[in-house]
Amino acid sequence: MPDRPRAVVLLGGGIASVSAAETLRAEGFGGRIILVTAEDEPPYERPPLSKEVLAGSKTGADCYLRSADWYQEHDVSLEMETRITDIETADNRAIAEDGSAFPYDALLIATGGRARRLPGLQGEGVFYLRDLQDAAALREALEGLRGGRMAVLGGGFIGCEVAASARGLGAEAAIIEMLDECLQVPLGPRLGRAVSDIHRARGVELRMRERVTGLARGADGLRVETDRGTVECALLVVAAGMIPNTEVAEETPIPTEGGVRVDGDCRTIVDNVFAAGDVAAQCQPGSGEHRRVEHHDTAARQGAVAARGMLGLDNPDPVPHWFWSDQYQHTIQSQGLFDPQAPCLVRGSLSEARFTAFQLSEEGMIRAALTVDRPRDILAARKLMAAGVPVTREMVEDADLDLRRAALAGAAV
Amino acid sequence: MTGDGGGAWRKVYDLDDLWEGDMAGVEAGPVKVVLVNVDGEVRAYKDRCPHQEWPLSDGDLDGDVLTCVNHMWEFNALTGAGINPADSSLTPIPCRVENGAICVAPPD
Repeated sequence: MPDRPRAVVLLGGGIASVSAAETLRAEGFGGRIILVTAEDEPPYERPPLSKEVLAGSKTGADCYLRSADWYQEHDVSLEMETRITDIETADNRAIAEDGSAFPYDALLIATGGRARRLPGLQGEGVFYLRDLQDAAALREALEGLRGGRMAVLGGGFIGCEVAASARGLGAEAAIIEMLDECLQVPLGPRLGRAVSDIHRARGVELRMRERVTGLARGADGLRVETDRGTVECALLVVAAGMIPNTEVAEETPIPTEGGVRVDGDCRTIVDNVFAAGDVAAQCQPGSGEHRRVEHHDTAARQGAVAARGMLGLDNPDPVPHWFWSDQYQHTIQSQGLFDPQAPCLVRGSLSEARFTAFQLSEEGMIRAALTVDRPRDILAARKLMAAGVPVTREMVEDADLDLRRAALAGAAV
Repeated sequence: MTGDGGGAWRKVYDLDDLWEGDMAGVEAGPVKVVLVNVDGEVRAYKDRCPHQEWPLSDGDLDGDVLTCVNHMWEFNALTGAGINPADSSLTPIPCRVENGAICVAPPD
C-alpha cells in the first residue's frame, strides 16, 4: 500500500461503508472514494426496517443514511446495482459480476449479511426481512391483513420487533420460538422471560419450545406445522438470523469462517484490506476471541476504525458495544458485551419489565449493563465503564440511588 | 421585542440556578426548552431529540457533549450539531442572559 492510499473502494451499502467514507474525508483524505453496493438504493440504515418502515412512519427514502448532495459534496462515487464477486488481493482489484474491475489502494469489505432462509419456508405469504424491498413488501402485506393473523418464526430481535410492529398495525400475532423465552440467546432465560411477558401483555401468542416442521397452504392462508401442533395464519415472517456475506473474500488468503476475520483495527491479514460491520469477525479486546457483532453502532464505529487504519492513523481505545431494540413503547439498551450465561444483578423490577441487569467483574467494574426502560442506568454504566470506577452490589440493587454519584463518591474515599 | 424566530422574549430561569455543566428542562409557554451551561456559555434548544422526540433534559451533559438517554444520540451542546449520528442536529432556540436572567424566544 502506498504511504497514503489514492483510491479507496468500499464494498457494501450500509452504515459501515458510509461511516468509513465520512471518516476518510474528515481526516483529510483527498483521494478517490468509490462505494459499491449491490442494491438499487443508496446506502440506508437497517434498524427502521423492522420498526418505523413497517409501522409506516418512515418511507424507504427516510432511511437513506446520506442525501445525494452529501455524496457530491464529499466526492464519494456511488456504484449501485454492482455486485462484487471476487477480490484479487495480489493485484489490488475488486471484480464485479459483469467483469468490470475496481482497482484500490485500500479496500473495505462491508458486505453485511443476508437473512437465513429455511428449507421449505418460502413462496406466497412467507416473508424474510433484511433489505428495504423486503420491508416494503412486508409492510404492504401487514396492512393488507386488516386485523388478520400473522406468525413470526424466531423470537430474536428481528422477530420480536416485527411482532410488535404487527400488533401496532392491529394484526393478531404469534411468535414461534424453539427456546423457552424471547431473546433467550442474547439475554438468557431470566431476562428473556421479562421480554416474553411484554409481548404476552400486548396480546401476542407465544409458542415457545416449539419447532416448525413444515408449511402447507389452504384456501384461507398458511398452516404452519410444528412439532406440537398447527399455527394458522395469513402471513409468516421467518426471522431466523443472518448469514454473513463472506463469499466475496473466499478466494483470498483472508480467513472467512464465521465472518471476515480482522484484528482490533479492522485489518485483515492482507495489509490493505479491511472489514467492518455485520460481515466482520473482529478480535475482541481482553478475550482475543473473534466475534461478529450485529449491531448498528458497532458497524458505524468499525467503519471509522478501518478508515483511520487505511490512513495510517491511530485509533482511540475501543468503546464497549452498545445496541438498542424498540418494541412497543419499550426500549431495550445494552452497553458492553452481555453474557447470557453469566449471573447478573438486577436493578429495578423484572416483573414490571423496568429494570437494568448488571454484570460486574470481581473488582466491581461494570462489564455489561442491559436495560428495559431504565435508560439512565445505561448512561451511568457508560460513564463508570469509561472512567474505570467500580460499583458495589448494594449500589446496583438500590434502584432509587443515583448510581453514578454513589460510585464516584465511593471511588473518592 | 422578538427573537430571530419571531417569538417574544421571556424569562425562563435564573442564571444562578444553572451552574456550569448543568442542564435544565423548562417551559416557555407551550414550548419545552432545554437549557445548557457549557463553561459559562448558555444555550437553549427544543427539549426534544430529533430522533424520537425524547426529552433531552432527561439525558446527560458532559463538557460540551449532550447525550439523549433514549438511544444515546450525541450532540455538541454549544452548536447543536450532531456528533453521533453526525447528520442530525438540535433545534436551537434564541437565548440570551440579561441581568442574571436566562431569556428565550421560542418561535410562535
